[in-house]
Amino acid sequence: MSPSERLYFIADFNVETLARYMAHTTLPGARTDVAPFGPVLPALAAGPPGSDWSAVVWTRPETVSDAFRRALMFEEVAFDEALAEVRVHAAAIAQFAGRARSVFVPTWVLPPFERGRGMLDYRPGTGVAHLLARMNLALADGLRDQPSVFLLDASRWFASVGSRGWSQKLWYATKSHVTPAVIEQAAADIGAALDGVAGRARRIVLLDLDNLLWGGVVGEVGWTGLNLGGHDHVGEAFADFQHSLKVLASRGVQLALVSRNDEATALEAIDRHPEMRLRRQDFAGWRINWDDKAQNVVDLLAELNLGAESAVFVDDSAIERARVRAGVPGILVPDWPDDPARFREALGSLRCFDSPFLTAEDRTRTSMYAAERSRRCGLAASVNLDEWLQTLEIGVTVEALAGENLDRAAQLFNKTSQMNLATRRLSKLEIEAWAGWPENCLLTFRVRDRFGDSGLTGIVGLHFEGNEAHLADFLLSCRVMGRNIEETMLHVAVAHCRARQAATLLAEHRPGPRNRPCLEFFRRSGLRPAASNRFIWDASAPYACPRWVTVVDRAAVVTTVEP
Amino acid sequence: MEHTEALRIVYDTIDVMNRQLPAARRLLKSPDTVIVGADGLLDSLGIVNFVITLEEKVGEAVGATVQLLDDEMLVEGSPFQTVGALTDYIATRGA
Repeated sequence: MSPSERLYFIADFNVETLARYMAHTTLPGARTDVAPFGPVLPALAAGPPGSDWSAVVWTRPETVSDAFRRALMFEEVAFDEALAEVRVHAAAIAQFAGRARSVFVPTWVLPPFERGRGMLDYRPGTGVAHLLARMNLALADGLRDQPSVFLLDASRWFASVGSRGWSQKLWYATKSHVTPAVIEQAAADIGAALDGVAGRARRIVLLDLDNLLWGGVVGEVGWTGLNLGGHDHVGEAFADFQHSLKVLASRGVQLALVSRNDEATALEAIDRHPEMRLRRQDFAGWRINWDDKAQNVVDLLAELNLGAESAVFVDDSAIERARVRAGVPGILVPDWPDDPARFREALGSLRCFDSPFLTAEDRTRTSMYAAERSRRCGLAASVNLDEWLQTLEIGVTVEALAGENLDRAAQLFNKTSQMNLATRRLSKLEIEAWAGWPENCLLTFRVRDRFGDSGLTGIVGLHFEGNEAHLADFLLSCRVMGRNIEETMLHVAVAHCRARQAATLLAEHRPGPRNRPCLEFFRRSGLRPAASNRFIWDASAPYACPRWVTVVDRAAVVTTVEP
Repeated sequence: MEHTEALRIVYDTIDVMNRQLPAARRLLKSPDTVIVGADGLLDSLGIVNFVITLEEKVGEAVGATVQLLDDEMLVEGSPFQTVGALTDYIATRGA
């Protein structure tokens, strides 16, 4: 969690306890501010304290909708009247969101003691619960086109703490109905959402095998002796856990294996056991051997070009968990239950995977990593790197930023650490606004080769000022680093400078926590160093494109592609 | 209620409260820690949150609804003055 986070609270009840909890536990070091509680429309109209603030807008349905308040009092109300009030509320949030970094809106819930119309409570036109469900849907629909607004399901917070979530006594004493137990749930979800928006969501789960993905020790009982699936409640729990992991992979989270086992024996089980839900191709990589697990984790993450801050390590052994926790700073190692029946629940309770977007690249990330393994096998067999690169048949397609690639561009802006020149973390709205200025140009790079399509993996941002062009952004996914895509991006950047009559291209590396590889690339790029972190290219000459890379520049200002 | 059980409940409540407080103002788990009074670290919202959380935890322990939030309890000299006095009160009253 970043201490630079700024979080503003707008609520129609006393939300001070949540603000304190977030400032001192969830986001230690972050700045928080709370609007005076009451009707929220004036606070929404006033906007956040600054455009770099995120906000939580938490309301009660009876204050947003007078029709709903009257429905609670058993008055007949017109359904559309409540929905119209919700639309007004949504419009105010949407307007506010244009001035904030991101906005989180908890959904409306009824107190557990509010039985409404009893057995009629979900009857359309009669029930209060039905009306509230429609209001929540109307709110979601009203905010559908707001990329920086996220509805958070508050019903989960209350459900997870049972009867301890709602306190009328607290309401009478402090004008807050939400107990500390719910505050902790809300704070955890808001914190996870902020992490997701800032690109801090975890991207890979490193898994043990024995007694985690299956019951038993494969080295002792062989794959035929494993407890997995079938008509056995424990075996079913392991199979169900694997299924949950597969679902997680569909969200774009990678899976990998770190296991103390004989590799051939373990892989045979993965390939041949009929009840395995996860197969070899579902894993981005593995380290299956008898070496130290912490070192295996470090090596595997290096192979996959991922940092420890991107990873979660799951192991049934408390000793191995302690070893990795101590040996790999930054990795998340959750406590893990002993009972396999609780594995799925333990995985589901991890909030570290929440992401604000789901892109095509997310859905196919596993197959991309499998393709990368094939590439690396080819590299091992090749005499040298250039020879290997020539065999890849690399193609790069350049496109201007557009609606269809905005989600992925925002993801790259917020997740890319190593090959990132300026480490600007921008929201979708900020990216769109920046790219919309005529003096700016934002190019996206799609990379493919004979092993597969790596998708949108690179971004170049150019800012033109006088006869100079500034490389505002230069970022490339770690998935395709080291394949001459970096040089190809510079080639395209210089071509665009030349097309717009810029005499020089200036690049300034701004040090971040992990972007030294970018500085090292620029030092060997051929650009003239002007200072330890500044580089210049005289745009009277093109920057050579690697000859084994085919470039299609759909954003080109000129029609001829330079050699 | 056993005195040790009462003390555990008060300390658990302090844990909950400390998550709402800056590091420099967190309540110490000590019998001398002031809860209500001039030297107390909790403001009025904090005191109410403390008492309601305590009510809930004591209620869970004794299996009954417990009423501790009372204006007279929240003045100097009341059992809420210190952690030690509060623990004694819960233990002897059985809450």
